[in-house]
Amino acid sequence: MASHFSGVLQLTDLDDFITPSQECVKPVKVDKKQGRSVAKIQIEDDGSYFQVNQDGQRQKLEKAKITLNDCLACSGCITSAESILITQQSHEELYRVLRLNQQSSGGEQKVVVVVSVSPQSRASLAARYGLSSSETARRLTAFFKNLGVQYVFDTGFSRTFSLLESQREFLERFARKEEDKKALPMLASACPGWICYAEKTHGDFILPYISSTRSPQQMMGSLVKNFFARQQGVEPQKIYHVTVMPCYDKKLEASRPDFYLNEFETREVDCVITSGEVLKMLEEEGVSLNDVEPAPLDTMFSSVCGEELLCHAGSGSGGYLHHVYTHAAKQLFGMEVGELTYKTLKNKDFQEVTLEKDGTVLLRFAATYGFRNIQNLVQKLKRGKSPYHFVEVMACPSGCLNGGGQLKPVTELSNKDLLQQVEDLYRAEQPSAPEEDTRVAELYHTWLESVGAESARQLLHTQYHAVEKSTNGLTIKW
Amino acid sequence: MTAAAARLENANPLIFQRAGERALTAVEEDETVADPIDDREIFDLIRSINDPEHPLSLEELNVVEQVRVNVDDQESTVSVEFTPTIPHCSMATLIGLSIKVKLLRSLPDRFKIDVHITPGTHASEDAVNKQLADKERVAAALENSQLLEVVNQCLSTKPV
Amino acid sequence: MKDTVELVQRLSAHPDSRCWYVAWNPKGSLLASCGGDRAVRIWGKEGDSWECKSVLSDGHQRTVRKVAWSPCGNYLASASFDATTCIWKKKNDDFECLTVLEGHENEVKCVAWAPSGNMLATCSRDKSVWIWEVDEEDEYECVSVVNSHTQDVKHVVWHPTQELLASASYDNKVCIYKEEDDDWECRATLEGHTSTVWSLSFDPEGHRLASCSDDRTVKIWKECTPGDGEGDGSTDTWKCACTLSGFHSRTVYDVAWDRLTGALATACGDDGIRVFKEDPAADPEQPVFNLTAHVPKAHSQDVNCVAWHPQEVGVMATCSDNGEIAIWKYESEV
Repeated sequence: MASHFSGVLQLTDLDDFITPSQECVKPVKVDKKQGRSVAKIQIEDDGSYFQVNQDGQRQKLEKAKITLNDCLACSGCITSAESILITQQSHEELYRVLRLNQQSSGGEQKVVVVVSVSPQSRASLAARYGLSSSETARRLTAFFKNLGVQYVFDTGFSRTFSLLESQREFLERFARKEEDKKALPMLASACPGWICYAEKTHGDFILPYISSTRSPQQMMGSLVKNFFARQQGVEPQKIYHVTVMPCYDKKLEASRPDFYLNEFETREVDCVITSGEVLKMLEEEGVSLNDVEPAPLDTMFSSVCGEELLCHAGSGSGGYLHHVYTHAAKQLFGMEVGELTYKTLKNKDFQEVTLEKDGTVLLRFAATYGFRNIQNLVQKLKRGKSPYHFVEVMACPSGCLNGGGQLKPVTELSNKDLLQQVEDLYRAEQPSAPEEDTRVAELYHTWLESVGAESARQLLHTQYHAVEKSTNGLTIKW
Repeated sequence: MTAAAARLENANPLIFQRAGERALTAVEEDETVADPIDDREIFDLIRSINDPEHPLSLEELNVVEQVRVNVDDQESTVSVEFTPTIPHCSMATLIGLSIKVKLLRSLPDRFKIDVHITPGTHASEDAVNKQLADKERVAAALENSQLLEVVNQCLSTKPV
Repeated sequence: MKDTVELVQRLSAHPDSRCWYVAWNPKGSLLASCGGDRAVRIWGKEGDSWECKSVLSDGHQRTVRKVAWSPCGNYLASASFDATTCIWKKKNDDFECLTVLEGHENEVKCVAWAPSGNMLATCSRDKSVWIWEVDEEDEYECVSVVNSHTQDVKHVVWHPTQELLASASYDNKVCIYKEEDDDWECRATLEGHTSTVWSLSFDPEGHRLASCSDDRTVKIWKECTPGDGEGDGSTDTWKCACTLSGFHSRTVYDVAWDRLTGALATACGDDGIRVFKEDPAADPEQPVFNLTAHVPKAHSQDVNCVAWHPQEVGVMATCSDNGEIAIWKYESEV
């Protein structure tokens, strides 16, 4: 099973990523069938189990399975086993849905397959094929549509919502920082690896600091399964929503119960595939992106200017620090910030930006990437020594452009050089200011105002849950 | 209780007859002679350990047998092999730990105690043996109150 | 075996518990011990006798597995099963807990100071090795978390002169780390032991590394310099120069290379301590070590640690599962 990911994704080989800490300890729930008499269990050469009754009858035993939700709710390890993700969220699963769609006869209602591609994945694939990021987007659009996908969107568009909501949340937290000791620093919430780690390891201590704003992936989930579904007159469960992400942990994020629509029995994002899995699909189809005829972009949910995609200023991890900082400087202190000056602290993955006036520090922001730096941040918070107002936290060293789901370098290219190429391609897109996006502003007006304040909050925000440590003596790993 | 029952891996294990009580020999009754510790004495220490999941003793489940106990009093070594009821029993390390703890608590300090899985009877035999032989892991495990509680339950003498 | 090992003193250090580890301060005036009683004890000489000078009992909630002195001798670090590492500062004859390093998920198995005193390494059952940096204000920051082992990491040790770290693990391997491009990475993996590697010791010059294992052997590893034509530069190469087998009848828990004489001592689960010396006549590429002294029942239970005195030739301390420390004098017949 793991072969699907070989060369593309190997969680355990990565350097500073958050890795599973121990073996799975989740007790498996088994539907108990009434046993009649004494029986023996035999293991066959292929690893399958047979129960042999006293009268010699053989019965194949079912394997107990752990679901992704079991994983998320368990304190056993930090991220989950690859095999679980593979069965539930993979490009194979996308192929399966597309096949079913093709086979369904005219009378049956087909599902609408929507793919939302992240800017980081675009840049990763662009580097492999020597294309620009926008050109990659046009060709990916054509590739997916040839496979039977109806819409191809850009999560850069939904990220505008994430940035705007982060900015609002920050101002709101800043205003109550005197009475609420956990209002600041606000910790960015877009990285699911970080969220998972925080929930499992630091629980109630750290969660209040984490921004409730949804990540771009889950903002797109709201857009597609709420706004788009209503606009198209399609029920949410009749839309199959796939995202293409630079990160393996995004699969975990999509599987969170918080992003499951109980009423329609569907997830807001049904399936997450990585940049590497898209490469895999191209290879399986025997197609090079260079040979694909470009198709026009689906501009409904894409940040575009003409035929070119736009991006956001700041880091390759979404630019949260940049946007919240420039906006807060203006709103709170009336200061226009042009270029941000990043000061590198211990290492390149811990950087600081300060806003000063007459020698007084007004704002102190940080970007903290990778496990080691997250540790120092958490310890500073625990000791009450964190000087920050906002921290852009990402689990991967170098952030999302270097996500675990990105393409690996080919031949002679070093990891570092590839990362530089990807970053250059990502930055080559024209940046746009979130508050100037008229289509997003219009959606706030038409869509979010129409659903009411509470629904709007749910569509744009989420919540976190501390994971209880296992207290079952029988399952403790020692 | 139902939750625990739902996890029973081998719901219908074979149950074996218990051995009788041992007869005391004249030499053993002579308190002036220091009698060496023998296999039967070790077996008597571990036969009544409870299975973590079943209301049965390790002897009744045939997990421990006297023939798989080996004592060398002169060399101060004790070796015990135990046989999990099924080859994928996830309780094997816990059973082994219980046997080890029972012997550590009962025998003089001079003894080197080795607890192993009967060769060929468990899928993760080597891993379990290695873990049981690692005294640092054992020491750390016994500082875990929840785990210690389970071990103590296994070691508690149940009413006959 | 012509050399002798004489018992100097036996101390009941951690009564009714295990004594896991002992460490001399750089001057050799103090010996720190730790054990299953959650305490660290500091021993000093009064006249001819070693006496307990202080008990550090409020730092840890569980077993204290290892202790390490900073190169300046003013700080003591203690690693505990409670997942933390305490840094103690020496104030005259007393010690105060300066800071607690948190972050490991479970048992911290070892702590070691770099020769510069500016860095500290810890390792844990959580499979990771952490490198910490100390600044002038006694603030500790994690500079790297390396996950090169697949199991419990038992021991970490720094090279005597370079910023190079070695770790030993339950996965039977030894890893060698260096800093590359602002992060630490595993540069070499030493495979050869067939069971848990419990401890490591560099030779006085740092050219060779001794490892001891549950496989009852001690291995001597030698670094191959790039000029040797081995390795392609992207990794470092260490090869096993010799294996000491057939000497130990149970797990070898510790190995210590004497900075002063070059003798190699081991602590074994068969209750014995042994001293080996290198045959000066042997080919340096194929070194030969001879057993020159053996104390069969050095303790009544497993010997967990052996430490050579840093200044007095031949003096060593050992400790055991029975809670005792013993001080020995090794006399080499030249």
